[in-house]
Parts: sequence; C-alpha cells; structure tokens
Amino acid sequence: MSDGYQVLSLDDLERLTSTDGELTLLPLRRTIGFHPFGVNAWLGANAGDRVIERHREQDGDEELYVVVRGRATFTLGDETFDAPPGTLVHATPGTLREAMAAEDDTVVLAVGAKPGEAWEPAPWEDFYVAFAHRAAGRVDEGRAIVADTLAQHPGTWQGPFNAACFEAVAGDDDAAFEHLRVAVERAPAIIAKYAPDDGDLTRLHGDPRWQELFG
Amino acid sequence: MTHTHVDELDRIELDDGFEWRPVRRRFDIRAFGVNAYAPGATGQVVEEHSESALGHEEIYLVLRGRARFTVDGNEHELGPGQLVFVRDPSLRRGAVALSDDTIVLALGGRPGVAHEPSAWEAMFAAVPAAREGRWADAIRMHEAALAEQPASAPLLYNLACMESRGGWPLDALLHLAEAIELDPKWAAYAAKDTDFDPIRDEPGFPA
Repeated sequence: MSDGYQVLSLDDLERLTSTDGELTLLPLRRTIGFHPFGVNAWLGANAGDRVIERHREQDGDEELYVVVRGRATFTLGDETFDAPPGTLVHATPGTLREAMAAEDDTVVLAVGAKPGEAWEPAPWEDFYVAFAHRAAGRVDEGRAIVADTLAQHPGTWQGPFNAACFEAVAGDDDAAFEHLRVAVERAPAIIAKYAPDDGDLTRLHGDPRWQELFG
Repeated sequence: MTHTHVDELDRIELDDGFEWRPVRRRFDIRAFGVNAYAPGATGQVVEEHSESALGHEEIYLVLRGRARFTVDGNEHELGPGQLVFVRDPSLRRGAVALSDDTIVLALGGRPGVAHEPSAWEAMFAAVPAAREGRWADAIRMHEAALAEQPASAPLLYNLACMESRGGWPLDALLHLAEAIELDPKWAAYAAKDTDFDPIRDEPGFPA
C-alpha cells in the first residue's frame, strides 16, 4: 500500500460510546483524515439501541444516511419507516430525524455538509471523542483533544462550554470555571439558558463561583 | 421521497461496463458527491480512473457482495463494510465485482472548497437518451447542467456531440468552439471523435 490510499473495515474503527451511553460512534472521518465533508458510522450493537441521535441539523447541514448492515427504524419528520441494508435516507436541514436498531449489529453511515460552503471539521466530533476517552479513563488523551479543538475553533461559545463540561466531570473545577467564564463572555444568554440544566455541570452548582456567574 | 433503496435507484449501464446508480441526483444533494455502482456486463463495478482532473478524495465502501479493487497497481479484495479511501487524486483505481449482487458506494469531494456537482453526472445521465437516439432529451439534460456550470468545457463538448449526432450542426459548431476556447485540448479530441463525423466537413469545424 502507498501513502496515497488506505484500506480498512468499519470493524477496525474504535467504538466510542457517548457520555449518556445512548450512541456508539465509529469515528471514520477522524481515523482516515477525510476532509471534503463529514462522514461517520454509527453502531446499534443490540436491537432497540439508538443508532442516530434525534436531531434536526439546524445549522444547515444536509445529510445522507446509508444503512450498511443490520436493520434500522428511521424517523424523518412525521414518517417512520423500516430501513433494511442498502436504504438511503436524505434529510434536509431542520428536518427531525432519528434511527433505532431493529436488529443487532446495525451500522448506519452518516454523510453531511452545508451546501455551497467549504467543509471544516466540526467541534462536536472532537468533543465526542474526547468525552468518550475520558469516560474510558483516558482523561489526558481526552484533554489533549479538547485543547486542540479550542485552538482550532477560536471565538466560539460551544468550545469553552464543552471544555467546561469535560473538566467538571474530570474533577478539575478550576479549569471548568475558567472555560465556563469564557463561554459566558462569548454568549451570556445562551450559556445562562443551557448551563443550569446540563448534568455535567451539576456538581459545580454549590461552588461560590457558580453564583458569581449565574446568580 | 426522502428515502429509497440502492436497488430502487435508476440503473444506467455505461459503455465501460459498469452500472451507475445515481444517488446525488436522486436527492439533488448539493453538499457532497455520492453515488452507487453495480457490476455491468463486464463485471467492472468501479471504473478504472484517476481523480486528477477534479482533485477529489474518494471513499469506496462495499455495501454488498465482494469486489477486487486495484489501487495504484495493488490488489485488495473487499467485502461488505470494508472500504478503500483514496486520498491521492492522481492514483489509478478501479474495481471488479466478484459477485453479481455487489454494490459499491462512492463518496467524493475536494477538500477546502464548496462542493459542486460533477459535470460527468449529467453526461452519464444522458447516456440512455443518447443510446436511444432521443437527442433532444440528451441535449436538454446537458443544457440544465450548463445552466449551473456555464464554464464547463466537458459539458459543452458533450453537448456539441449530442447536437452533431442529433442534426443541429450550427449549435454543435458553436458549443464545440466554446469548449475549445475554454480548453484547447478538446480540439484534439474532436479531431478523432466520430460523434463529429456529421459536421466534420462543415466550414468552421476546428481542424
């Protein structure tokens, strides 16, 4: 094989469970370093598991889901349908979509990008991987990814907010408040709305610094 | 319809022996390139080609069956859930199906730029119309693609081919001249292309 190409199986990819235990990401894009647009696979190990998060892509990404194996039950807008392997599901931005595994070992490929814009890696992917590493006890590895992500996406509120969540769960309260303060500076109304209900931050509620930020 | 199955897509068998099942066009996806391929008469499932002209990075994922890929001269036999990621657009790649039901999903785009639907898609889509001599339909498909990409030399060239064969010599000469003005290499292709036999002796045909 040369440097110009790579052969792999979706089964070679890490299986990264989300913080809430609901989702399992097979991080294809990061693993191969693909940059033209977003592409990842999601696994439902057991029938009944969630494969695709219930979400709407409000930021304008159009998405295509491809059932690679197993079987999924998809919901797209008001419609719910059976999706055997080879099913292609196109979701426009804003459309509610989700998928549950109808059989064990269901894999769905998700492809997405914004029309008319050059694609850039989205911070969610890095944070997802960082949080999965932390949950698996690889805190330093996760923290290094958080630091990289913050450097790559300066000026966002999502970056420091997620970094605060990471550190709050990892047990570094000082670092958590430092990130939270930056997030509040960048988007006070949004953070005031989300922070109180975020389970990752619950532990910080008794700290005087929480009162300073959110009264 | 916002969902379908790979076996319900259009099936367009192309002259190189593979069957194109258009996914991007089916949903009018604008943000990325995606298509499915099945083996045609020759068993080819991914055309032998490089992506040098478009600069695309490509992923080929076997959805069903088995295929033998040849990438940069190396062979790899892949089954369902296995994939080849070809980062270097200049590498030659292609695949032959090892079972009749093989489906390969191809995803591609150029890093760092907004995706533009590839001109070849309109040309491939027009193949059945051209094969059946429905020149007006084939021409309409090219014109629709040109409305979005007016400076595509391959589209203009192919449009000229359809017009030449369909009996519109003046339109053919005009569009061939436009293609050659954008990229002179098309003059050399036109000199050998039998599609232009009907207009080769017309005044104004590029020598």
